[in-house]
Amino acid sequence: MKTGLAGLAATLFLCAPGRMDARQRQFLDRYCSTCHNERLKTGGLSLAGVDLSRPEVKPELWEKVVRKVRTGVMPPPGAPQPPGVDRRAMLTAIEGALDSAAGKVNPGRTETLRRLSRTEYQNAIRDLLALDIDAGSLLPADESGHGYDNVNLGDLSATLLNRYISAGQKISRLAVGSTQSSLQSDTIGLPADLTQEDHLPGMPIGTRGGLSTTYTFAQDGEYEIQVLLMRDLAGVVSGLRDSRSHEMLVLLDREPVHSFTVSRAAIGDQVLNEKPLKVRIPVKAGPHNLAVTFVKEGSSLVETTKRPTESRFNDRRYPRTAPAVDQILLTGPYEAKGAGDTPSRRRLFVCRPAGEDKQEEEKCAAAILSTLMRRAYRRPVTKGDVDEMVPFYRKGRAERDFELGITRAVTAVLTNPKFLFRVESDPAEMPAGGVYRISDLELASRLSFFLWSSIPDDELLEAAAQGRLSQPGELERQTRRMLADRRSFNLATNFAGQWLRLRNLDAVQPSGNLFRDFDENLRRAFQQETELFFDSVLREDRSVLTFLKSDYTFLNQRLAKHYGISGVYGSRFRRVTLAQKSRRGGLLRHGSVLSVTSYATRTSPVLRGVLVLKNFLGAPPPAPPPDVPALDESTMAANLGMRERLAAHRSNPVCASCHRTIDPAGFALENYDAIGRWRELELEDQRVDASGAVPGDKEFHGVDGLEEALLRRPELFAATLTENLLTFALGRGVEYYDAPAVRKIVREAEKEGYRFSSLILGIVKSVPFQMRRAEAGPVAAKIGVK
Amino acid sequence: MFLTKKAISRRAMLKSAQGALALPLLEAMIPAATAWDKTPAKPVRRIGFVFIPMGCDQDRWTPPGHVTLGELSPILAPLDPVKEQVSVITNLRLPNAYPGTHDTSNSAFLSAASAKHTESSDYFSGITVDQIAAKEMGRETQVDSLQLAMDLNPLAGVCNNGYSCVYQNCLSWSSPTTPLPSEAHPRVVFERLFGEGGNAEERRAALRNRASLLDSFTAEIARVKQRVGAPDRARLDLYLESVRQVEREIERGEKAAADNKTPDLERPVGVPAAFADHAKVMFDLQILAFQADITRVISFQFTREQSNRTYPEIGVRDPHHPVSHHGNDPVKVAQIAKINTYHIKLYSEFLQRMKATPDGNGSLLDHTVYLYGSGMGNPSLHDHENLPILVAGGTATGLKGGRHIRYEKGTNLANLHLTLLERVGIQLDKFADSTGKVEDLFERVV
Repeated sequence: MKTGLAGLAATLFLCAPGRMDARQRQFLDRYCSTCHNERLKTGGLSLAGVDLSRPEVKPELWEKVVRKVRTGVMPPPGAPQPPGVDRRAMLTAIEGALDSAAGKVNPGRTETLRRLSRTEYQNAIRDLLALDIDAGSLLPADESGHGYDNVNLGDLSATLLNRYISAGQKISRLAVGSTQSSLQSDTIGLPADLTQEDHLPGMPIGTRGGLSTTYTFAQDGEYEIQVLLMRDLAGVVSGLRDSRSHEMLVLLDREPVHSFTVSRAAIGDQVLNEKPLKVRIPVKAGPHNLAVTFVKEGSSLVETTKRPTESRFNDRRYPRTAPAVDQILLTGPYEAKGAGDTPSRRRLFVCRPAGEDKQEEEKCAAAILSTLMRRAYRRPVTKGDVDEMVPFYRKGRAERDFELGITRAVTAVLTNPKFLFRVESDPAEMPAGGVYRISDLELASRLSFFLWSSIPDDELLEAAAQGRLSQPGELERQTRRMLADRRSFNLATNFAGQWLRLRNLDAVQPSGNLFRDFDENLRRAFQQETELFFDSVLREDRSVLTFLKSDYTFLNQRLAKHYGISGVYGSRFRRVTLAQKSRRGGLLRHGSVLSVTSYATRTSPVLRGVLVLKNFLGAPPPAPPPDVPALDESTMAANLGMRERLAAHRSNPVCASCHRTIDPAGFALENYDAIGRWRELELEDQRVDASGAVPGDKEFHGVDGLEEALLRRPELFAATLTENLLTFALGRGVEYYDAPAVRKIVREAEKEGYRFSSLILGIVKSVPFQMRRAEAGPVAAKIGVK
Repeated sequence: MFLTKKAISRRAMLKSAQGALALPLLEAMIPAATAWDKTPAKPVRRIGFVFIPMGCDQDRWTPPGHVTLGELSPILAPLDPVKEQVSVITNLRLPNAYPGTHDTSNSAFLSAASAKHTESSDYFSGITVDQIAAKEMGRETQVDSLQLAMDLNPLAGVCNNGYSCVYQNCLSWSSPTTPLPSEAHPRVVFERLFGEGGNAEERRAALRNRASLLDSFTAEIARVKQRVGAPDRARLDLYLESVRQVEREIERGEKAAADNKTPDLERPVGVPAAFADHAKVMFDLQILAFQADITRVISFQFTREQSNRTYPEIGVRDPHHPVSHHGNDPVKVAQIAKINTYHIKLYSEFLQRMKATPDGNGSLLDHTVYLYGSGMGNPSLHDHENLPILVAGGTATGLKGGRHIRYEKGTNLANLHLTLLERVGIQLDKFADSTGKVEDLFERVV
């Protein structure tokens, strides 16, 4: 529909590529120069005397102009607006010129050295050693840049280095198993605000509450498990009433191995008189599912003088009616009987020494380490790599045995920069500013860290090592294969978690007074819904516009009840087709997104507006000025609706310049309260006013209106999502010189209805992904030598 | 280290008056401290802080005589074997702990700062005296400071009157927005200090393994340097800086292991069930940490505020917190006094062990300053006046033990913190709301 007139206009102008004519000059004079002239220089910009004939010589300026005009931020509200036809014609002309800038390809420059992010480290260990570790307890969090935590990875503090060494030692011992020399002890805890009255997702049927986790047991042997129960502020075990008795089960791989009786008589409820809930069980080495949970005792309604709530964890307000698990302390192995047969040993030990003699052992050690290093370093192994590891192996061998030698060498691999850092270096003879295609091996890493946040698998690595990856069709084949692989769920967790700020869900602590029914169960449900939804669009290769408007979502009983959707029973998440007029569906209706853009006591149209403008529309508002005075909440009457509360945003001209754009985008979502429930009224008797607007479009009402407005210009959403994916894929912020590539991706994707794979493939085939710009390199250093 | 980073939000900074006070202190963090002199004449100095909750029975606590600590009061009687190295100070107060009670008793004890009244993650308190010491004294040791506790389950959610639990859980704060978690599990503390343990030779071997991993790391960085341009070489040089920093820590650790005679260390696995046993282990770990010179700054939350522990072993079967609300009922007051005495007994045993441990030309106690006390005064009134405070420690710092210093008017606890910092070589003009120093405690600095 839009291609009609714009297409005509474009044909007229693109006949002479790069040439702009009087029409564009007129456009500027009429709609821009009133403010952006030499005298006023509004926003620091003057368009007087710019050379319109070749915008491509000033791409930084024109890309800014294009972004603002395309999203409709410029001309600002109140100023004369160009008719849609003219706006599109102008954009087509300028963009055409920028895109066709021949020979000025700028793929940008990723950092030469980037260490693995914490998530990437965890995934790499999983794929390298078949070992699930919790990197959160081993390594500090990464700082974010441009919204993603894989952008500022050029640092290495002493603290981090220490942690890498400790982590490497711990992981190698766990992977080999036999060299775990002493008792290990771990604590696994549950959040205090988890309601454990009913069945939790993933737990066996017939149980309530508790936790289930996969724990890697280092060796065959006996392990002591101690369970600590949730207590209230007085130190008394919560939920123990009268003489009621509860059965608490310990399950290993879903089989009950022990049962505790929990009642006042059995354990007492004072701190010191408690008999500890401890048991020792035999376990074989390797990863096992360990669960501690209660047998469910009937489902009768709880008598209560207050309105019954779903959440029950706060002993002052909504007390637990039954005991709950707080922590599990695991200690072991006692009576250790060796490392047994575990997935990590099978992955690591690709051979066993053929004989007792040192030479045989060293041959096998070399084979083991070469296999490991190829995967860890993400490239074929050299003799130098192996030679470097031999001293570590020999030292451990001399100290004890073959397996200790391997352990020490594995530690050395895991603490080597070749594993910890991704290096992209310019080719030897490249002049500064030169543009080159990155190597197949570098491309393989980019691909696997993009889609899986992990190391390339053997198939991808092989293709790259043989130089096949850059062959036509091979890259696309590998990309599709990797998208179909289960590991691409990473995009739903790691990418979407940052694009939609889901990582902040853990910090969402709604006021207990106002939001009685909020608990960890709901928090987890929010996250599940969005992750499963995102993954469904990816895996079913749907159009990304589904993110904006959808007729289905994923629910379990708790979430459905929260949303007011009937007919969903059980804790398992399942796809639910929504009714025609449903208030749920697209991302803007998800409890997750709506909660992370709210405060503890109220919604925030500002946070919501910023999310919509920045991460959906691609029209990020400028940063707030440095000395914004605090909102004086005390002078705000308690009975003011949200719009009145934020009135100062509109009346103060300094605030209004940004907030007249930000706030309306957020107001459209006002029908959803701070924890994502639908409401018609706020403050009990005032009707919610959900009229809103986004730049460049007419006013609309509510979330329906917002979605329709975004869908009217789907290319904007597609471009914004592409930019976010590209940032995540490259590990650097997207700059003005990437804009032609983004436009190309969006154009091609439009032909396929914006299917998810079209965006991914577009990115993978793009100039910024496949190429790199050189800097003043070793060439300068070498010139002296030559 | 169990550090978490928290950025101060702009609004939090602007809103809190304490922000204006704490921040300049932050910047003046590293004043010109007296130089370390490890000659026998001026050996290593150390500082420790022990916190007990819910004040005390002030009648049975306060010694009868003052200036000289003659006869010990009933609660302080167990200190008799170390009387000459302990001083009691009465009538100190924490004005900034108001209007809070249990939470601020804990958070203000070492910071003398006013805690922001919030349940959310925008908490704001003040840097604590032990962390100021750690920033300076921690430069010489492998671990800059240690935070210990006795309670395994830190509380979550709302703790008391709308204060976030972080105020009750965390005694030490390395900045107004960085509470430091503490460790109650002996094994974890042990591992932090000694890794896998074993004897000195084994520990040195473990440190050498780390060093050789670093050598390998450095070699690879050097190789990468050959292949990259100037800006990237500068980046790599920064990495090498970090490597050198870690290497220095390892060297210090190796030296400490070589210089200090510590017994073979068996790593503790579990947590002793009995309070006294658990306390002894935690105190012993402090002695070991000082002996091995792994750290020189320790804070210890001996029990937490609002603790509901019962002490049947001394005949108190009722939980601590409710009993502390005695309302002047003599039975309950007597119970509180028993609990106070029990804590003092365990502390005294620790001080005796410190005294019996040789260090340099004296004992460990001679060279270590310890503060013991509470951020609350009368628990039945929930006030922060006339706090129970003890200073223990030896001649090396100039402490005049065996004294009872009694202030006529309530004096800010921060004065004592300022004085203790001076004793370990950190000169500051002011700490939190200090109005001067506690002159009578120590000999004048020459």
